[in-house]
Amino acid sequence: MEARVLKPILGVYCAAFILFLYGPMIILAILSFQGAGGGPQFPIIEWSTYWYQHLLGMTPPSRISRLPIGDSLLRSLTLAMMTTVVSTTLGVITAQGFRTRFKASGAVFYLVILGMIVPGVLVGLGMALLSNMLGIDRSWWGTAFVLHVVYTFPFAFLVMLAIFNRFDRSVEEASLSLGVSPVQTFRRVTFPMIFPGVLSAMLFSFTLSYDEFSRTLFTSGRELTLPLTIYGTFSVEIYPNIFAFGVLTTLFSFTLLLVYALLMLRAVRAGRSFKGQEEAV
Amino acid sequence: MYDLQLTGVGKTYPDGTVAVSDFDLVVEPGEFVAFLGPSGCGKSTTLRMIAGFEAISNGDILIKGKNVSTTPPEKRPTSMIFQNYALFPHMTVRQNIGFGLDVKGLSAADKKAKVDRIMDMFGLSEFADRKADRLSGGQRQRIALARGLVVEPDILLLDEPLGALDANLRRVIQNELKLLQRELGITFVFVTHAQSEALGLSDRIVVMNRGRVEQIGTPHEVYAAPATEFVARFIGSNAIIEGVNPTVEGEMASVDTAFGRIRGRYAASMASDAVVLAAIPAEAMRIQPASAAAGIGENRLHGTVSMKHAVGSVGHFKVDLDGRQSVDVQTSTDNEVLMQLAIGDAVVVDCPSDRVTLVGQG
Repeated sequence: MEARVLKPILGVYCAAFILFLYGPMIILAILSFQGAGGGPQFPIIEWSTYWYQHLLGMTPPSRISRLPIGDSLLRSLTLAMMTTVVSTTLGVITAQGFRTRFKASGAVFYLVILGMIVPGVLVGLGMALLSNMLGIDRSWWGTAFVLHVVYTFPFAFLVMLAIFNRFDRSVEEASLSLGVSPVQTFRRVTFPMIFPGVLSAMLFSFTLSYDEFSRTLFTSGRELTLPLTIYGTFSVEIYPNIFAFGVLTTLFSFTLLLVYALLMLRAVRAGRSFKGQEEAV
Repeated sequence: MYDLQLTGVGKTYPDGTVAVSDFDLVVEPGEFVAFLGPSGCGKSTTLRMIAGFEAISNGDILIKGKNVSTTPPEKRPTSMIFQNYALFPHMTVRQNIGFGLDVKGLSAADKKAKVDRIMDMFGLSEFADRKADRLSGGQRQRIALARGLVVEPDILLLDEPLGALDANLRRVIQNELKLLQRELGITFVFVTHAQSEALGLSDRIVVMNRGRVEQIGTPHEVYAAPATEFVARFIGSNAIIEGVNPTVEGEMASVDTAFGRIRGRYAASMASDAVVLAAIPAEAMRIQPASAAAGIGENRLHGTVSMKHAVGSVGHFKVDLDGRQSVDVQTSTDNEVLMQLAIGDAVVVDCPSDRVTLVGQG
């Protein structure tokens, strides 16, 4: 097709993509500045930060109760961090294992990947049934945590697999050949060089776990995580305080991304010659 | 005691591919040995088996009399230099060089002294605190060498260490390597596919092809007396002429070829009942106008000049013998008569018998 025709079509597609990507967020952000008497829709009766104050308990008591997110936020953050540590560690170790071909490596690969492709509702339900049968109490730090790892581990694994794929093995061999043990070689040579990948794997694990819904729904027991709590408030009536919280949690995510970007920049600077060496070959 | 001893070493991959077979070699202390061959001939695999990065399938590898066949690479007294240098990108030059000493349990002062000394030796002191990627190819090569040598290995293994350098720098580093090896007296095992490097640097060359050793000898031996057809074709520039029915007289033999009888020294690979190949070095041949060549000279071949060019002091002729076979001849450009030869002129080419080698085919 000619560029003359293709260009406007792609332009419109791109604009629509951006609109649907950011539109919902922007609407929410705008509505979060609704006045005290306003509802979760337009028009804005009065611009204010009332709902942010309400969220933080800084407003005089009203008939609308505070969002019960304090505990669940803490739970979700703890769960996400636990998941990040375990999934990333497993991801690094498994990808390291896949660097040398072994028997049934194909089967193992798909077994790992299964964790991210099977529907969350099914796994959640299955886990609930299984824990019932085995008499295990469901909890966010037990059954839900296991499912979060099963779900995020494949992502961390795939990221690390891609990193190891273009990793120059001769650097490790150089270390071994200098008399440095495999363990020390991993700690002092391999790990610093794959660190950017590890950061990416951590970011994936954290964000996926932090807003995981379907698997957690069936397995977290009585103590709810943040996404479940927020969903729970929908069943009563929606007030703009949820939007205010949405804005805050989005800001938190952006901060996380910023930290990631800064760390990444540093790691890439430190390891720039990695690429230089490849070119030298 | 030998520094390095390989007896019947072989490598077969799980899928049945044979990378190396029946590799026998003994290396004297302080020797500079080159493994030479085309890519895929098994030379790098053999080097990696010596380093311990590849498990061996058959045979034994002994270093200073100790069998290291199953010893992991970090416990072998070898140090390897890689073609791409394999420097640690996240470390400074000093950290790179000192890396291997960290696990040796030296005091900080001892370690610093060793690193300082070797950096000084390689002219790297001024870059000590820079990241390795800020340096040129030649400097990175020196860092790699310094890093490999500072741990004082019994054997330094070099895998095409000059391959990534440009031609000029390659000559410089090549000379440095030779000097360095003489000074340190460490055994060097060097892998290359460039015959000029192998011939110029090493005390002995192991010529390899398809996972097998074709010939082991000094640079002069493999150059002047190729043992097999492969060596004759791979090293130097030899004219190869087919012959049959060899008759042996002492160290010499002669064969019947389409261009008359050719006499030469024969290699062990020559068999009396098979095709024999006469390898005649281009620079050992003499070329004369047919009119001037009265019956003198051994191994006379008649032909016509089909190509002629001169590079500086060396003149190159291609002489067509019968329309299918031609031989390359190198001469000095000093000779006025030869320089006046034109394409199509009838000439006679001859070569002393002791410069001709008769090898078996294949």
